[in-house]
Amino acid sequence: MPSERMSDEKRSVQFSRRKFLAGSGATVAASLAGCFGGGAGSSGSDSVKIGFVLPFSGTYSFLGESIVNGVKLRLDEQLDGEIDGRSVEYVRKDTGADPATGASITQEFLQSENVDFIVGPVSSAVAGAMKPEIASSGSAIWLNANAGNYKLVQDNCTKYHFRTSFNTWQTSAPLASYINDNIADNVVLSYANYTFGQQSKNLFREEFENVGGTVVDEIGAPLGTSDYSSFLQEIENSGADAVFSFFAGSDAVNYIKQFSSFGLNGKMTQTGSGFLLSADTLQAQGTAALGMYSLLHYTPTKQTDRNQAFVDAYSGQYDTTPNVYACQGYDSALAAELAVTEAGGTETDPMVSSLAGAELDSPRGYFKFKSSTHDPVMDMDIRQVVEADGGVQNEVVETLTQVEGPTWGCDL
Amino acid sequence: MAIEGVAKTVLLGVEMGMTLVLVTVGLTLIFGMMDVINFAHGSLYMLGAYFGLTVVTVTGNWWAALLVAPLLVGLLGGLIEYFSIRPLYGRNPLYHILLTFGFAILLHGLVTEIWGGQVQNIATPALLEGSVDLALFSYPLFRLFLLGVSIAVAAVLWAAMRRSDFGIVMRASAHDSEMVDALGTDVKRVFTAVFVLGSILAGLAGVLLGTSRAVDPGMAASIIIQAFAIVVIGGLGSYRGAVVGAFVVGMLNAFGPTFAPQFTDALLYLLMAAVLLVKPAGLFGNPEGA
Repeated sequence: MPSERMSDEKRSVQFSRRKFLAGSGATVAASLAGCFGGGAGSSGSDSVKIGFVLPFSGTYSFLGESIVNGVKLRLDEQLDGEIDGRSVEYVRKDTGADPATGASITQEFLQSENVDFIVGPVSSAVAGAMKPEIASSGSAIWLNANAGNYKLVQDNCTKYHFRTSFNTWQTSAPLASYINDNIADNVVLSYANYTFGQQSKNLFREEFENVGGTVVDEIGAPLGTSDYSSFLQEIENSGADAVFSFFAGSDAVNYIKQFSSFGLNGKMTQTGSGFLLSADTLQAQGTAALGMYSLLHYTPTKQTDRNQAFVDAYSGQYDTTPNVYACQGYDSALAAELAVTEAGGTETDPMVSSLAGAELDSPRGYFKFKSSTHDPVMDMDIRQVVEADGGVQNEVVETLTQVEGPTWGCDL
Repeated sequence: MAIEGVAKTVLLGVEMGMTLVLVTVGLTLIFGMMDVINFAHGSLYMLGAYFGLTVVTVTGNWWAALLVAPLLVGLLGGLIEYFSIRPLYGRNPLYHILLTFGFAILLHGLVTEIWGGQVQNIATPALLEGSVDLALFSYPLFRLFLLGVSIAVAAVLWAAMRRSDFGIVMRASAHDSEMVDALGTDVKRVFTAVFVLGSILAGLAGVLLGTSRAVDPGMAASIIIQAFAIVVIGGLGSYRGAVVGAFVVGMLNAFGPTFAPQFTDALLYLLMAAVLLVKPAGLFGNPEGA
């Protein structure tokens, strides 16, 4: 139960802070300072402090919880709460989906909590608001565990930002040549009409036209649409042989279910960014998703020893299969582990140097932080939905190795 | 647009509109009778879907869910009305807004706690899978079933309000509840009955739409916004307004993506603003509109 975990954790954070203050023989004045958030001593040189800036309420709370689970699987379960002899502490605050909240939590974590790492956020809009705080402070490493907006790297890129997730180019464009070679040379685009959907659609379109394909039409539906039937009619009328889409969460479930119930799956091949058909939506999409293609950097059913070990550990701990967000959380923990170990401490600049260009042993496959952007260079899976015991699952049909993508003028 | 396209879009509009009626009618009846703006109505709809999900999981029978889940929601609605809304009758309507808004937040939290935040879906019953060939085009059978149920419910309700004794008491109470009370009818019981009825309809919509759409804790908020817009367009408290408003919005949703693809999400609010400018009380907004 999420809230139970949360309150346990709050308690343990408070407790450890109190213990620290008492143990160091702090004066009354110092402990007051600690209580009021000025506890400069809370992040002692012998500990590693991680601040979660994630949604724990609202639509994306499930994603936030998955990321935290991934981080803790590595640090608490596999490393017994210690990195290189330093104990790990956590603070967490709920961003909801609000950029301003994300920015103020970040500021608080940097200034009062003296965190060494910031893990989050889920939303790119929140990430945009957090970036100036982190760039100007320079006192913590930002492990961006989900926000994919490529513009975070394009506009004023900062060396403190390390993406442990993906960028929008990676989850859309690389599918273009596969579709053109194996599925159809003409597509219609359908997408949730907000920043992420538009970016995915535009980046895919550019690449698809580069490889010689034709985009017949594009159809945007408002974020949070629950009935796609009239948009589906437009898609059908386009006459394209395939469709590339960006939808996520409940939008993805509504879109895919309705796509197939109107029989479009018999007329055109559905493809899309991996969030369209991911582990957390497939159960609800069911047989409506059969045969559809998507592209993502993590697939729980991927048949590698590394991934199997991760899936076993995660399911053993949380009683559920890991999703892409859990993997991104886990990789954030791997990055923190590597940074502290290599730099021999929590000084920010040495940690930046150790992470830039470093490789992580990620469940997703090959993973490296590109030196010039700190974006991931990683393997991307092209998957197709197939029948499985009691439902459907993604099967990897091809793995694109070490996918990099543009640098958007960033040169760190 | 070819003739098949137009015909299909019209059917889509009718279907989307009539389905919305299941939600908007409860909302408008509750307001019309008791002057309660029920922000928790979307949450009752959501609970219908989640109860349905659990019944289907336990019994494996979708039809059982269609029967049981709305009744459970009705029971819960009755308890909410009896224990929390009833003590506030006669006070400033703001109390009811705050109270039902509180319930919406509470139920959102409870649902997330019990069923989790991930997206789920009620499996379509085998009997209603597939499509029907309607000469010009084919149409999903389940959606035709949805349309049929919605029309039946709207018709039965309309007839009941016109013809039955309870309907007469309902309309009289909406018009002047003190007078009805003075004439010997226990108006508070009528209020509870109407709240239960509205809750059952919301629960029914939850099971039906939870089958054709995603079930997640965000579904309450997304339906309540649209439902309120419809009820305002039709006229708060008017049964006819709720039906006509839903029908108009259904058509808007159906034709919007063809004629105004970049503005589909704004159309509803533009329509609402336009109606309010011309008729501030909504299309059928007067106390006798029911």
